[in-house]
Amino acid sequence: MLIRALTLLLLTSAAVPANALKASTLTIYTHPSFAAEWGSGPAVKKAFEQTCNCQINYVVLDSGGDILQRLRLEGESTQADLVLGLDTGTMETTRQTGLLANHETDLSAVKLPIDWQDPVFVPYDWGYFAFVYDTEQLPEPPASLAALIAAPDDLKIIIQDPRTSTPGLGLLLWMRHVYGDQAPEKWQELKGKILTTTKSWSDGYFSLFMNGEAPMILSYSTSPAYHMAVDKTDRYQAAEFKEGHYLQVEVAALVQSSDKKELGRAFLDFMLTTDFQRHIPLKNVMYPATDLGDELPAVFNKLIQPSKALYFDPKAVTDHRREWLNEWLDAMTR
Amino acid sequence: MSYQRRSQRCSQQHSLQHSAPFSRPGWQLWPGLAIASALIVLAMAGLGALVLEASLPDLSELWRNRYLRTVVTFTIWQAFLSVVLSLLVAVPIARILARQPVFPGRAVLLRLMELSLVLPSIVAVSGLVSVYGRQGWFTGLANDWLGASWDLYGINGIVLAHVFFNAPLAARILLQAIESAPASQRRVAAQLGLGRWWYWRAVEWPAVKPVMPGLAALVFTLCFTSFAIVMTLGGGPAATTIEVAIYQSLRFEFDAGQAALLAMVQLAICGFLWWLAARNGLTASLLPDRRVASHRSKAGSSVWARLGDSAALGLFVLFLVMPLVAILLRGLPGMGSAFFPEGTFSVNPALLDATLRSLAIALPAGLMSVSAALLILASGTTVSRPAITRLTDVAAYLPLMVPPLVLGTGLFLLFRPSLGNSSEGLVLVTLINAMMALPFVLQMLKGPMGSLDSASCQQADQLGVLGWYRWRWLHWPRMRRPLALAMAYGTGLSLGDFGVIALFGSPGQPTLPVLLYQQLGSYRIDAAAATGLWLVLLLLMLFSLFNWLGTPLFRAGLATNSSRTVPEPEHA
Repeated sequence: MLIRALTLLLLTSAAVPANALKASTLTIYTHPSFAAEWGSGPAVKKAFEQTCNCQINYVVLDSGGDILQRLRLEGESTQADLVLGLDTGTMETTRQTGLLANHETDLSAVKLPIDWQDPVFVPYDWGYFAFVYDTEQLPEPPASLAALIAAPDDLKIIIQDPRTSTPGLGLLLWMRHVYGDQAPEKWQELKGKILTTTKSWSDGYFSLFMNGEAPMILSYSTSPAYHMAVDKTDRYQAAEFKEGHYLQVEVAALVQSSDKKELGRAFLDFMLTTDFQRHIPLKNVMYPATDLGDELPAVFNKLIQPSKALYFDPKAVTDHRREWLNEWLDAMTR
Repeated sequence: MSYQRRSQRCSQQHSLQHSAPFSRPGWQLWPGLAIASALIVLAMAGLGALVLEASLPDLSELWRNRYLRTVVTFTIWQAFLSVVLSLLVAVPIARILARQPVFPGRAVLLRLMELSLVLPSIVAVSGLVSVYGRQGWFTGLANDWLGASWDLYGINGIVLAHVFFNAPLAARILLQAIESAPASQRRVAAQLGLGRWWYWRAVEWPAVKPVMPGLAALVFTLCFTSFAIVMTLGGGPAATTIEVAIYQSLRFEFDAGQAALLAMVQLAICGFLWWLAARNGLTASLLPDRRVASHRSKAGSSVWARLGDSAALGLFVLFLVMPLVAILLRGLPGMGSAFFPEGTFSVNPALLDATLRSLAIALPAGLMSVSAALLILASGTTVSRPAITRLTDVAAYLPLMVPPLVLGTGLFLLFRPSLGNSSEGLVLVTLINAMMALPFVLQMLKGPMGSLDSASCQQADQLGVLGWYRWRWLHWPRMRRPLALAMAYGTGLSLGDFGVIALFGSPGQPTLPVLLYQQLGSYRIDAAAATGLWLVLLLLMLFSLFNWLGTPLFRAGLATNSSRTVPEPEHA
C-alpha cells in the first residue's frame, strides 16, 4: 500500500518539472484588454516569436494598478521581465519603487501629441479621454466642458470613480487642468448631472450606458472607432470639447531584476516598429505610438481631433493627487 | 413554546472501545480546529502585512475625519436597511413555500431562488438596471400609473439590489429550517387545528429561531462588504462603503495605514455581530424526527388564504424573474455567434475552454468547502468549552469579513506563488474559492446538522454506533439534501467569482467570469452579454444537477423529509 502510494506520488510530481518554462521565455505582466484573445497580445506574440526564437508568456493581472501592486509585493524576486499596461497615472509611483531599469531604446519613432523623453518608460499607445454619447438619445451634445457643466440637470452623464478607475482619474485631472483652483466649484455644478460613479469603465459601459440609462459616458475618444469598424454603426460618437482633451499614454518598461534584459530590450525596440503597432488601432482601440501612415484604419479619420492635448507631468500628478482627490470628495459629498 | 432554549450537544459519549473507524473523539475535534486556526492565521497575516508596511493613523481619525465618519455610518446604515428588508421579505415567502408543498413550478422557483446569490454582480446589476433603471420597464410603469417618481440611483437602488441578492437565499435557508421542524409537532398542530398565527408561534418560529441570528449576520456581512453594487447604483461618492475606501487606499493611494485601520473597523463590527450570533452554538433538537403521517395544516386551505398566498408568491416571482428575463433577452443575440459560429452547431472554443476551466476549479472548491464546513461543525459539537466553539464559528466567517484585498495580500506573502506556473496558481485559486464559500456552506448546514435529537444520540451511544457508522446511518440520510444544496452553492459561488482569480493573475487562460470581463474590455458587448447568459444557464444546470443528486433514490430510509406515508383521515 505504501509503495503504491509513493509510486503514485512520484508519478504525479514527475509531471511538474515538465511544466517548467522553456529556457528563453520572456515573462510580461500585462492586463486583460491587451492579452485577451481579441486584444493585441496574441498577434504581437506571434510576430515577435518569429523574429526572436523565444517564447512570450503573458501573465494577466486585473488592471494597470494591479500590475504595480504585484510588482511592489514581489519586489526583487519578481519573475517579470517586462511590465506592459501601465499608464501615465501610475507611471511615477512605479518608477519610485526602484524596480525598473532604463530601456535604452531609440525613441525617435515615437509620435505623440507631447514630447516624450522618459528614460524608463516606452509608450506603446495613447488616446484622449472624451465623453462618448448616443446620437439617438442626444443629437446635439455640449461643445465644451463649460457647456456640459452649465447644461440643465436632466442631461445625465455616467463617469467613473477616480479612486478606482483610470478614466475617472483622467476626468479629475482634466477638470483640474482646465479650471485650476476653481475645479471643486465646477464639480459641484456638475454633480447634479452625474447619474452615478461606477467602479470601472466596463461596469458603466455594460450595465448602464448600453442599457440607455444616460446619453453620455466618460470613455476614450477612440471608442467610436470600434463601433464604426466592427459593429458597423455610427450611433456612438465622441463629443469634442473646445478646451481640449486630457491625454492618456500607455507605457511598458523593463524590470531591473530580470535576467533577460537583452531580450526585453529587443522587445521594447520591437514595440516601436510597425509589426507591433499595426495591431494597436482596432485591437486595443487606441492611437498607435508611431506613425502608421496608410496602415491606420480609415475609421480613425472620422474620430474627433482635439485642438489641445492637456497633460500634467506624472510627477505633479503623484505629488498632488491625494489633495485633489480629497477636494473632489469634499465637493461631491457636500 | 421554548423547547430549544437549553443547549444540547450530540457528542459521542463512550469510553470503552474505539472499534469503529474515525471514532476517536480527536477525529471530530482537531481537523475542524485546525481549519479554523488556519483561517485566523491567514487573516492576521494579511492585516499584519499591511500594518507593518505603514504606521497606523490615530484611532481618533475615525471620528475626526469627516470622510471616514461618513463612510462608516453609511456602510452600517445601508447594511442594516438591507438586512431588515431582506428578512421581512424572506420570512413570509418561506412560510408560504412551506405551506404549499406542491404547486406547478415549485422546483423551478426554488432553483431560481438559489441562483440569485451566485450571479456575478455585473450581470445581475445589468439585469436590475434594465428593469428598474431610468429606461426600465418598472420605472415606466411606476411613473405612469402610480405617479411616483422612482430613481434607482441612491440608497433605494442599493437596498433593492441587496434584497434581490439576499432575500431568496434567506428564504431558502428559512424554508429548509421550517421543513426540518419535527414532523410530530406539525402533526399535533394540524390535529389541534391551529390557525396561522398560532402555527407560526408553535411550530415555525421555534424551527426558525436557531437559524435567524446566523442568517441575519450573514446577510448583514454580505451587504456590509458589498462593493460593485454600491458603486454602480449608489449615485456618487457619497455612497461609499468601507470596502471601497480600503480599495482606494490600497490601490491608488498606497496608504496602507488607512487601509489597515478601515479593515480592522470592518472586522471589529462584523466580528462582533458574528460573536453575538454564535452564542446559540449548535443546538440539537429535543424532539425526534420520526416518520409520521404528515398532515397539511388546515390553516392554509381556505380560499382567501390561498389567494393571498398566490398573490404574495406571484409578486415575489415577478421580482425575482424580471431581471433574469432581462439578462436572457440581452444575451440571446450574442448566443448565436457563441454556439453557431459557422452556421453549424459547435461551441466557440474560447467559451468551451473557459467553461471547462471554470468547472475544474469550481467543483473541487465546492467539495473542499463542504468538507471543511462539516469538520468545523463536528468540532463545534465536541468541545465542552463554549468559547472555543464560538471561536471556531467566527473563524469560519472570517473570509466574509476580511476585505479580499487584505486576504489576497496575506496569502501572497505566505505562499509567494510563482505566477508563471499555471497549475500552482489554479490550485491556490481553488483553495481561496473554497474558503470564501465556507461561510455560506456553514450557514446552510448548521440547521440540519442539529436536527438529530439528543435521545437518538444517547441511544446510538448505547448501541455503540460510533464514528463512521454514525455518520453513515444517522447523519447522512438527514444531511443528504442540505449537503447537495451546500455543494451546489459552494460550486456556484466559485463559478461566478471574479475577484479572487483576478488577485492571482490567470496566466492568460481565462475562466468564464474573466472571459466576460475581457470581452467587456474589448468592446465586445454582445459577446459579453452572451457569456453572462451562458454563465447563468450553467449555474442553473448545476443547481438542478445537485438537487437531483441529493434526492434519495429509494424513499425507504431512516429520515427523509418526504410526505409520502399512509394518509390519515382528516382530523378536527
